[in-house]
Amino acid sequence: MIEPVVKEVRVPASPEVAFRRFTEGVGGWWPKATHSVSKEKCRAVFWPGPAGSDLYEVDEDGNRHVWGTFSVWEPPSRLALTWHPGRGSETAQTIEITFEPRGEETLVTLRHGGFEALGDTAQAARDDYDQGWSKVLAMYRSALP
Amino acid sequence: MIRRGPLAVGDIAGRLPVSQPAVSQHLRVLREAGLVEAETLGRRRIYRVRPEGFEPLRAYVSAFWDEALEAFGSSFTDDEEAGE
Repeated sequence: MIEPVVKEVRVPASPEVAFRRFTEGVGGWWPKATHSVSKEKCRAVFWPGPAGSDLYEVDEDGNRHVWGTFSVWEPPSRLALTWHPGRGSETAQTIEITFEPRGEETLVTLRHGGFEALGDTAQAARDDYDQGWSKVLAMYRSALP
Repeated sequence: MIRRGPLAVGDIAGRLPVSQPAVSQHLRVLREAGLVEAETLGRRRIYRVRPEGFEPLRAYVSAFWDEALEAFGSSFTDDEEAGE
């Protein structure tokens, strides 16, 4: 079992506003140039919902790069999605995001787990080698000291 | 597949529509990256997932979300309409 990464951020807004900003408003704050498949060519990011729909980016040539698929869409309290930006869905990790009221504010908690899928050689063998697995390893190596 | 338990190369290849040499090559890359480890039992190479090999990836993911959530949080303090 590989422990999930858990992050929290508290924001000065209601869960309704926080949920909307995280999803339909994602293009207004997401760091597109660094946190995307197409990097500085990334033009827009979309987290449209509902459950069953994809989240994706669109690059300057109009190409769509899928990041994953929403599995839970429960505004204003909970989201869950699969996560495989730049790779095949066989390597999908899982992300859950909750929005809990804290007085006038909202506590947003993000859990990113399912990393085992990235080490699953059964799936890696099916990936296009250059576009899929080598990218994971490049990312992995760049994180090494 | 091997996250459910250690397996020999031949067993892994037997469950996939790819050749055993291709599987061996992928396993070698994974082993060099520290994501799996192997031991030899007789004539068989047994592979298993190496959890500590995922720590750099977890560190990358952790930094990724620190940056993204900081941008999310800042969008409220930068924006006067945040409290609408």
